[in-house]
Amino acid sequence: MLKKFTYLTLTLAGVFLMTACGGSSNKGGSSSDELTFNDSLANTAPLELSQEVMSDVIQNISSPVEMAALIKSTGVEFSQRILNSTNQTDQYNTSFKRALNLGVYSADLGYINTFDKNTIVIDYLVAVKSLAEGIKVGQFFDFNSLKRLATNSNNLDSLMQISISSFNKMDSYLRSQNRSNVSSLIITGAWIEGLYITGKVIEQTNDENLIKRIGEQKDIINILEIILKNYSSQPNFSELADQLGNLKEAYKDVKITTEVGEPTTVEKDGKLVIIQDEISHIEITPEQVTAIIAEINALREFIVS
Amino acid sequence: MKKSLYTLLFLLTAFAFAGHAQCGDDLLKEALKEMGSSQYIKDFTIELIKEKKDVKTGYIKFSIFLNSNTQYKFNVANGISNVDKVVMQLKDKEDTKVLASNLYNGKTFDEFSFVCRKAGVYNLLFSFKGGQEGCAKAVMSLVKQMQ
Repeated sequence: MLKKFTYLTLTLAGVFLMTACGGSSNKGGSSSDELTFNDSLANTAPLELSQEVMSDVIQNISSPVEMAALIKSTGVEFSQRILNSTNQTDQYNTSFKRALNLGVYSADLGYINTFDKNTIVIDYLVAVKSLAEGIKVGQFFDFNSLKRLATNSNNLDSLMQISISSFNKMDSYLRSQNRSNVSSLIITGAWIEGLYITGKVIEQTNDENLIKRIGEQKDIINILEIILKNYSSQPNFSELADQLGNLKEAYKDVKITTEVGEPTTVEKDGKLVIIQDEISHIEITPEQVTAIIAEINALREFIVS
Repeated sequence: MKKSLYTLLFLLTAFAFAGHAQCGDDLLKEALKEMGSSQYIKDFTIELIKEKKDVKTGYIKFSIFLNSNTQYKFNVANGISNVDKVVMQLKDKEDTKVLASNLYNGKTFDEFSFVCRKAGVYNLLFSFKGGQEGCAKAVMSLVKQMQ
């Protein structure tokens, strides 16, 4: 009896010790992935960049939530019309399309949450659920909790936080399981949708801050190009990379210059605020903005259609 | 003999539970609470443990992309067993220049805000003074977009 109890307790203690110390290690997982899929996203071709480098690169993609917050700060009205319709989910029947559009819907969800439009949140959560399950990462979304939060407008901040956190966990999981190709598609879809929404708002408002934000995304294109080219042995990735190449071309003459100013550190009420010493300037013409938005629209059409 | 075995088992189990609470979701909840009204962007797990061969722990680094004209907040919650508070440093892409840190005038703050004026890739580094072991959770959030 004592022996049995000893084994049981030691096992329990061991399990808890391991979970207590498990964390954010970026080491690539070598264990078999029971969730690996058998279709076009099976990751077999040799990569030019290692999974570890890819993880670093993927983390550098800007959050669409920030873009949504900037759009809201311009005072423009929310428009559901510009979002990807949730009726589309059934037509995304390959892992490639599901992953890309999971990113698209996640950016839409960020936009919806930023504008506190809880009446349509559930439709988008269901779309996310469907696509996430389609690529076998549904376990990261506690949909009952998310739905509960979505039905109470006082909980929208929590909803936003839990949604983003679920996406971050899913992303970490995919990368740890050597499924960075899936992760990169989700991030590409989210980034393009963020730009698409911004482009639509620019067409409506010609807002200077949004134009500047679009301009400074030039650096991200280079990062995405590195990611997608890494998987260019897969035909779908190659086509997506070609589309991105057109967008890169539209950005070619956008100039980003840097001026060095004075750094400032202020301590106020026990809190530190640091103002960066370098300041970037974006030189972008109206013609370039039009060309960039046209390419974003084409790329977004390629993704959602 | 039986008594000491029970004590050992109790201690092992208690340590395991304490460790879990110390560096797990509770710590993240604390960091999220301290984030206040800012908009959550992502969180980071910091666990620095000495390997057998090491005299001290090093640092853990995360790459992030920051947009210009944007104020971000970086706040941390420290594990209860930490000897010292975790030190956060925001560095440029090449890791050559410290742009911001929660260590200022000899004092370690639980947070700092950074007004980014140049969009790009940055590195966020976490370490413990003197290379001690410890754990922490950090949260990056959006304070406001400057017009």
